[in-house]
Amino acid sequence: MYFLSGKAMPRRQFLQNLSATIALPYLDAMIPTGRGSRIVANKAPRLVAIEMVHGAAGCNELGSKLNLWSPAAAGKQFDLAPTAMSSLEQYRDYLTIISNTDVREAEPSSPNEIGGDHFRSSATFLTQAHARQTEGSDVRVGTSLDQLYAKRFGQETPIPSMQLCIENVDQAGGCAYGYACVYTDSISWSSPTEPLPVIRDPRVAFEKLFGVGGTSAERADRRRTRRSILDFVSGEMSSLKVNLGPDDRHRLDKYLEDIREVERRIQRVEARNQSGDPRELPEAPAGVPDSFSEHVKLMFDIQALAFAADITRVFSFKMGRDGSSRTYAESGTDKPFHPASHHGGTERGVKDFNMINKYHVSMLPYFLDKLKGIQESDGNMLDKTMIIYGSPMGDSNLHNHRRCPLILLGKAEGQLAGNLHIKAPDGTPMANAMLSMMHTLGLNDQTKFGDATGALNLNSYA
Amino acid sequence: MKSLVAASVGGLSLLAVAIIDRPDPTTTPTLTSPPATSSSFDASRSDPPVRPSAPTGRGLGHPVLAPAPTVMAPSALTDVVKKTCAGCHSEQRKLGNLSLQGFDMTNINGSPELAEKMIGKLRAGMMPPPGRPKPGGDTLDVLAGTLERMMDARYALNPNPGTRTFQRLNRAEYERSVKDLLGVDIKAESWLPLDTKSANFDNIADVQMPSATLLDSYLDAATEISRLAVGDPKASLSTSSYRIARLASQVDPVNGAPAGTRGGTSVTHTFPADGEYVFSITLHAIPTGQLFGSAAPFDEKIEISVNGERMAVLDVDRGMSQADPNGMEIRTKPISVRAGPQRITAAFIRTFEGPVNDNIAPIGHSIADTQIGSQAGITTQSHVQVFAVTGPYNPTGVSDTPSRRRIFSCRPLTPAEARPCAEKIMTRLGAQAYRRPLAPNDLKGLLTFYDAGVKDGGFELGVRTAVEALLASPHFIFRVEEMPAVSKPGSRVAVSGIDLASRLSFFVWGAPPDSQLVSLGRRGLLSDTTVLIAQTKRMLADKRSIALSSRFAAQWLRLSDIEKVHPDALQYPDFREQLAIDMVHETEMFFDNLVRENRSFLDLYTANWTFVNEDLAKHYGIPGVVGTDFRKVQYPANSGRVGIFGHGSVLTLTSHANRTSPVLRGKWVMEVLMGTPPPPPPPNVPDLEKTGESKEGRLLTTRERMEEHRANPSCRSCHVFIDPIGLAMDNFDVNGQWRIRENGAPLDTRGDFYDGTKITNALELQKALLKRPTPLVRNFTQNLMAYALGRRVEYYDHPAVRKIEAQVKANNYRMQDFIVGVVKSDAFRLKKVMEQADSGAKGASAPGVR
Repeated sequence: MYFLSGKAMPRRQFLQNLSATIALPYLDAMIPTGRGSRIVANKAPRLVAIEMVHGAAGCNELGSKLNLWSPAAAGKQFDLAPTAMSSLEQYRDYLTIISNTDVREAEPSSPNEIGGDHFRSSATFLTQAHARQTEGSDVRVGTSLDQLYAKRFGQETPIPSMQLCIENVDQAGGCAYGYACVYTDSISWSSPTEPLPVIRDPRVAFEKLFGVGGTSAERADRRRTRRSILDFVSGEMSSLKVNLGPDDRHRLDKYLEDIREVERRIQRVEARNQSGDPRELPEAPAGVPDSFSEHVKLMFDIQALAFAADITRVFSFKMGRDGSSRTYAESGTDKPFHPASHHGGTERGVKDFNMINKYHVSMLPYFLDKLKGIQESDGNMLDKTMIIYGSPMGDSNLHNHRRCPLILLGKAEGQLAGNLHIKAPDGTPMANAMLSMMHTLGLNDQTKFGDATGALNLNSYA
Repeated sequence: MKSLVAASVGGLSLLAVAIIDRPDPTTTPTLTSPPATSSSFDASRSDPPVRPSAPTGRGLGHPVLAPAPTVMAPSALTDVVKKTCAGCHSEQRKLGNLSLQGFDMTNINGSPELAEKMIGKLRAGMMPPPGRPKPGGDTLDVLAGTLERMMDARYALNPNPGTRTFQRLNRAEYERSVKDLLGVDIKAESWLPLDTKSANFDNIADVQMPSATLLDSYLDAATEISRLAVGDPKASLSTSSYRIARLASQVDPVNGAPAGTRGGTSVTHTFPADGEYVFSITLHAIPTGQLFGSAAPFDEKIEISVNGERMAVLDVDRGMSQADPNGMEIRTKPISVRAGPQRITAAFIRTFEGPVNDNIAPIGHSIADTQIGSQAGITTQSHVQVFAVTGPYNPTGVSDTPSRRRIFSCRPLTPAEARPCAEKIMTRLGAQAYRRPLAPNDLKGLLTFYDAGVKDGGFELGVRTAVEALLASPHFIFRVEEMPAVSKPGSRVAVSGIDLASRLSFFVWGAPPDSQLVSLGRRGLLSDTTVLIAQTKRMLADKRSIALSSRFAAQWLRLSDIEKVHPDALQYPDFREQLAIDMVHETEMFFDNLVRENRSFLDLYTANWTFVNEDLAKHYGIPGVVGTDFRKVQYPANSGRVGIFGHGSVLTLTSHANRTSPVLRGKWVMEVLMGTPPPPPPPNVPDLEKTGESKEGRLLTTRERMEEHRANPSCRSCHVFIDPIGLAMDNFDVNGQWRIRENGAPLDTRGDFYDGTKITNALELQKALLKRPTPLVRNFTQNLMAYALGRRVEYYDHPAVRKIEAQVKANNYRMQDFIVGVVKSDAFRLKKVMEQADSGAKGASAPGVR
């Protein structure tokens, strides 16, 4: 298993370019001048919400006895070595572990829903709300944490938020057990009825963030045409509406709103450019890489780059898809993800699944390195960022949603102390932790979220 | 129970097997005994109860079953349900989340959804489940038949063609529309987000949710495609990359590559301008960064060619490494290429043939395993990972291209001619893009963009800008259907002629209508059923109807799932991407052939022939097939293959990487072919993985592990349906090759089909399934309808499904009859006016956050 040593991972050209770009001092050339002042005025932390599916091996009885997920000790003196998070040891000062919280809203509420856990859990993760069982367009769950935040603090940046994923959401046959695919595929919901589309191709993500076109003059030219086309399209839609039935008219109205949003984005880009144009950008990535780790790292590169250029401050990142049978050869087991997650409670099964959990967490230090390497005015980017990493499932073998994995990384502009393991009292909803996260992010007036029964102090553990 | 049996005595003698003339005399008989089931009601249901004796045919062909007109009183049927079903489906037990304790036949009209659910289960013969007592004779058929007649009568009183919101062009339709309009080949995935699927298909209107990102994506696509089509003399430097799958073998020449090469890739790339372009290749490395294939005895060479002409030869340095300044990339000097689509190829020059003198020579292999790429004693060949084109450097203009010829149907010679010429161009393109003649206002809008473009850069830029607006227009992107202003909520209105032309065309061709169809629609002639059917037949004969196979059948059968299965490289070293592509092609070609030759739908199950090329034939063990072209072949005797149960595509996509999965295969049959998916596993089921992989010192077969698993009664209730079906296919391994042993032990594929029939192989499975063609036919019809209508098929559509079933049955389930049946249906030609907008979608939207 020499490739676990981590040296000389296979990399393609783009990654090298991008890494080079991220590294100092090149990056400074890229940040628009004159933007610093706004940053000082607006200390809104960057947010990355990462979902990993299928819970963790450490969330069943045996796994917790072996401390495969949460460490034995709460407080500051916790030992990460036996856990799947051992790769985070070097970043323990940035690590807040919140253990023992439940995602009860992902549980079935009627007999029809029994067994459909894989198809609704993801929708619950950042909303902590219960998904309405439907295959039609009348989907409903809740507004997700990242979107509540983006609505308030994302409007200053050209793009309020972006949604990324790793697994192909294009599942043949649609989804199952009476759930629309959006519940399985979207963790970000801009309203209880509006799941946001997810980008899987790093190239597409890159172009959405940084634009298409070789030079800034050309990009400006394209924006100008784009604006007049938007006017044209909204005029056409308005005239189209006349001859339509009510449902169609309603859908067109929705598109008209979207036009206004696209216009707003263009205005934001232009406002930003007037205060200095980014001079150089790395080459766009070629597409979706074959390997899981390469793909994840590319996505992390892009997020770091977008944070550095302050194009958006909010990402949600879905690193897995429920029911996925991907194998992770580098993890040390060749069992496919979903079958491995049904470990049967046997020691061997649990340990094998833990190898996959451990491998997933080991993707994070790369991102943390990147963020720590970015200096912005008064500190490094990791100090300014809050990364949520968790799963709406606990013991995947039973499809339960108790004692789910949840950790925070980064200091969120000094709002998080780090080096802390908070063991929540039994039965604490994960929503409590998320409510506190929103307070940490500056959404101080948020008093309700999902099934939260109160807040959970993220900075001390008695 | 005695009285029930007596009441149904008549039914038993009513079975008939009709003789069908088979177009293909080579097809072997597949059914020899009269099936023990009846079929749905149809026109002949009012026949007198005296039935002709069953004709004993030549034994060829498929059975066509006569209806069972036995009549039982509603009260008797209510009793049947209460006695037979309500034990499990009680208020207390509510198995299947259903209570039939209060069932009353006389009230069933009020619960059509329940009635249709019961009909489905009864016609599939799945209820009561194996091991539970059943009423004797054909009582259950009478029950199903009665329910069907009642539902059909109910529907006749108040027909409901259903409704949906408008569709937008999905990725596939967008690609085809752009190709038809501008003659450029594009990959819509470069811009448009993934299409959300519902009910198997990617064109279901109500899940095509709007978002700013989506809208932005269409605008991005319009910007880029207008430049590609018109050409961009000021094109800025950009890089386009083509990735080659890791599983792609590099031994054989790829399609389109010059002779004497192997591997690499060959694509049609659209160059935006005449100018110089740099071609670059990135090669695969092993995990420590050195070239994959560095142990080769000499440096290999890669040839870059444009339209088959050699442009450059690049040396592959065996010592190259990712640590080098250029990493694994090698590039050409700038090469002059003209604008427009050109076939570009990067491929290794073939330097050796024949056996290799090494311990292990996995040269034909994919690089599922990258570590073997540098070890002595193992011959490997380097693999291309990315082929990229960067340019143009020094663009000199845009010369003639096919899409420019298509766009510029006139050329202004004097400034005064410019605008009239642009008007002419946009009138023609506009009508095609909007799938209807342009209104004066439409043209005015487009010409505004022409005028703006002219000001910036002359005639060509004007046309290009107008084309960009055209591609961004909601009239192009959306397939909006007109609603007559006077229509009353709840009433039924005919789909307008123009809209019907589009419906038909996107159904049969997966593409916009041609001018003939639009013209007929515009003149209202498509409302004439004869014309409509004649057009359908014309379109089926056109080669564009391949979309029914590549779009409809591929999604229905879930062929794209094959991409998710990467058979274990050590157990299945022969598996490579080309083989997976060939397998999918086989199934698509097979289905296309059924449609084109108007064969029976049941051939899908019974055919003893398929389509293969040399590679696939070798894989299946079919002798005598040489070359890359696909051709029709007979399955060899005793091949064990029959219909699509012999297709590598189906067998692979229902497997895990390292073992077959009778559960996945059984589930696939129940869900995809029968339309009766097994219920989800209850929580807390022990997984198959829990059962030991070995016992008494030897590895267990999948079956043995499954039997341990099935010992659990909570698993058994469903797996008793699923497993025997999957086991009957277990003689085919993960990638569809025949086998008789697994893990060293002989395979045991015996099982009991849920109706009690003993089945041990695919042939017997197929026969057991065809005892009840009804669920198969209805499920196929439902899928076809969902795809044609762009909405899920609901309970109220089932009478229409049965009507189509009755129509196609008359002529042995011919494929084209299904398609015509759907086109003729109310649901296709009419729509219901919505009562009010769907309140669920009214949630407060959040502008600014997408």
